[in-house]
Amino acid sequence: MSHGNLEKCEPNLTPMLDMVLQLVMFFMLCANFVMDQVNESIKLPEAIAARGLDIKDERLLFLNVDLNGKVLLSKLDAEDSLSLDNKIQVASYMKRRMQRDVAASPNPKAPVLSTIIIRGDHRARFEKINDVVEGIRSAGYKQVRIRAQIGDSR
Amino acid sequence: MSHKKHKRQQTDHVEPDLPITPMLDMSFQLMAFFLLTFRPSPTEGQMALAIPNKDGGGVSIADPLEDEKAKEVIVTVRAGADGRIAKIEVGDISGTKNLGADLRAYQKALRDASDAALKTPSKKIGKLKLQIDKALLHEYVVQLIDIGVREKFTDISPEPLSEKKGEGG
Repeated sequence: MSHGNLEKCEPNLTPMLDMVLQLVMFFMLCANFVMDQVNESIKLPEAIAARGLDIKDERLLFLNVDLNGKVLLSKLDAEDSLSLDNKIQVASYMKRRMQRDVAASPNPKAPVLSTIIIRGDHRARFEKINDVVEGIRSAGYKQVRIRAQIGDSR
Repeated sequence: MSHKKHKRQQTDHVEPDLPITPMLDMSFQLMAFFLLTFRPSPTEGQMALAIPNKDGGGVSIADPLEDEKAKEVIVTVRAGADGRIAKIEVGDISGTKNLGADLRAYQKALRDASDAALKTPSKKIGKLKLQIDKALLHEYVVQLIDIGVREKFTDISPEPLSEKKGEGG
């Protein structure tokens, strides 16, 4: 029995590198997938019946309402200011939004309207949320959605 | 004449050796960074609301061809000073019930109303109108709407409670 030449054993690092790069890409994509329109300072109430977004919703407008009733807009949706402080500002902003929706629709007689989603802080009073809804209604929108954290069924 | 034989020097075939270890180290560094900064956001969903018309009428017009008009359920909610639910009254064409601040009783009342509506020939569940005290916290408004959706109401319309009705309570 003779001993063969001692060969240096090295683990194959290439597949390990492939896997690590896959994981890095995954976390990079998740980290970049930040919803700019969602304000994380707003703590949503819970609702069991809340459902995810429909794929058919093309234009979304998130109105983040803090506990004082101030509407916080994303940079994507904001015009002059990132916030709307009272219902008059909300109403005028929504009217301009409606004009944009009608102008951008292929058929102005049957416009494709934005889907309005209200993300209200759970500590806000109904009066403040209602002011926002009033502003939305005055612009002519008929459908509004209330956003909530999906709660566990009891 | 001798030809010097120029023996072409043959170089040994050399395989390019790429050091993967440092590359793997850097990848682990990057992965550690993104692992530490990764924050999964809580799952969010939404519930649809119907905005009432300015004159207080319904959003949808009842079909005149229907044999029986869908019953509308009107819920009046009053709030305490802290914004919590103080009193819930559920009313339809048969009468008004005072449920205190009990959300389970409210859910049961809505379930009874939707079950009764499903037994009618039209099998259509009517509109749920929520007349809500302006001081009520949004958290409880969402709970009221959530229970309405779970009890199969699809046309839910929250509106502020008028002051005159509040005084009569």
